[in-house]
Amino acid sequence: MNKHMATFIQDNLDEILVRWQEMMKDDSDEKFFQIMSQDVINKTSREFAELMISNLFEGENNYENRLNEFTSKVVRFGWSISFVMKAINHFAQVVYDMLEQNKTITEQNMKEYVMVFAEWINPMRDGIVETYAKTWERTVQLQKIALQELSASLIPVFDKISVMPLVGTIDTERAKLIMENLLDGVVKHRAEVVLLDITGVPVVDTMVAHHIIQAADAVRLVGAKCMLVGIRPEIAQTIVTLGINLKDFTTTSTLQRGVEQALAWTNRKIVEVEED
Amino acid sequence: MGYRSSVEILTEWDIVAARQLGRNEAKEVGFGTVDQARITTAISELARNIYLYAGKGKIEIERISEGGSFGIIIIASDEGPGIPDVRKVMEDGFSTSGGLGAGMPGVKRLMDDFKIETVLGEGTVIKATKWIR
Amino acid sequence: MNLRIPILKLKDTLIVSIQWELDDQTALQFQEDLLTKMHETSARGVVIDLTPIDFIDSFIAKVLGDVISMSGLMGAKVVITGIQPAVAITLIELGIRLEDVMTALDLENGLEKLQRELEA
Repeated sequence: MNKHMATFIQDNLDEILVRWQEMMKDDSDEKFFQIMSQDVINKTSREFAELMISNLFEGENNYENRLNEFTSKVVRFGWSISFVMKAINHFAQVVYDMLEQNKTITEQNMKEYVMVFAEWINPMRDGIVETYAKTWERTVQLQKIALQELSASLIPVFDKISVMPLVGTIDTERAKLIMENLLDGVVKHRAEVVLLDITGVPVVDTMVAHHIIQAADAVRLVGAKCMLVGIRPEIAQTIVTLGINLKDFTTTSTLQRGVEQALAWTNRKIVEVEED
Repeated sequence: MGYRSSVEILTEWDIVAARQLGRNEAKEVGFGTVDQARITTAISELARNIYLYAGKGKIEIERISEGGSFGIIIIASDEGPGIPDVRKVMEDGFSTSGGLGAGMPGVKRLMDDFKIETVLGEGTVIKATKWIR
Repeated sequence: MNLRIPILKLKDTLIVSIQWELDDQTALQFQEDLLTKMHETSARGVVIDLTPIDFIDSFIAKVLGDVISMSGLMGAKVVITGIQPAVAITLIELGIRLEDVMTALDLENGLEKLQRELEA
């Protein structure tokens, strides 16, 4: 029966694809059918159809390879999972309708055909969902790593003075990482003063301020001093409006003034050299 | 069920034994130095609570894994008087022993997950979980 | 097996290096020994180095805090040195801030800091 169906699909592929594309265009917000050229749509449709048929023909192994290859291609197109699901459902629908029309499917054998269709479609759906899930997991993992790499390293600028620029939103997870990097850096570089630069932090709410205060406390425990620099006007406003107490903190608006202060704390200053 | 080891808490010295066990377990499971310190400290606090308030009890450490991540659970159990007001114990700064009052909320902050079950007159079981990031 | 923590004297400063994990008894014994030694030598400053220590719980933190307050009453300043990053993070998360404690990265920095404080 499978073989029969596969042959039927191959023989009527052109008509199936036309009907399928119509259904997809009607039922989908996906930009694919609006943006892509008809050439690309036809080519992709055909590829898609071939994959659908290949499951009727071939053994499990080969099919899985092709399914993986296809889904990864689809992911690159930026197709959503619901779009892919619709594509599969509509394809099956078109084939079923046409088999019914040419009387291959009759009242008597309908039950059998329903089973055949289920066995055909279900593993494909599972495979797609699994591949998508894996891709998402991988993406999330990579983003996490990328974020960690972005997360703050301590830069020594002078003997005893280091700077840590903070960029982006600070959540609890990142705050912990920042704290660890900060303290390890202080000990490693033997910094006596660290400047936390929050120029690149978009919002300083009570929670972010809490994390910064904790970090500064921990820096004091390992034996260094912490200064908060890069406080923009709007940040100063929110800090005061929220009633956050940064009084135990030395703060400056710019990194430059922070560095001058840090030099003063370590009994040094920058002087201009007169030319001979 | 993962691998489990335990220390009975009867004397002050057992607090040291419990945290040594915890430190070794944390190291073997693969925790970093900061998490090792967190786990050791949490065990120390929990073991001292048993010693101070229940007189005797047990610290158990179980290795756990779920969906490819690994971690440990600290289970502190005693048959002491139980905790009359759990909510109060979880408030920062609350202490009946004249310590710094870091106690339970501090332990909760050190760990990823924290559960107290307590029955007055029967005892207390605290489970604190930490996962490798 | 009560091991006592050795307390060294250098001019008017006492130097303590804590080399192993403190149990409660040793910590209390140390508190007593330090105050006694301070009284005997009329030292004006103390440096306590914690570099080898890999964790501090609330009890040990309290003993340390008490030692510092008591030393203050006896007219001596205390600098704590070598607190490891992991230890500092754990203390902060426990909610222990050790607010009025002077700290330094290591023994050398600690001695310098103490000297400046005593001269001031």
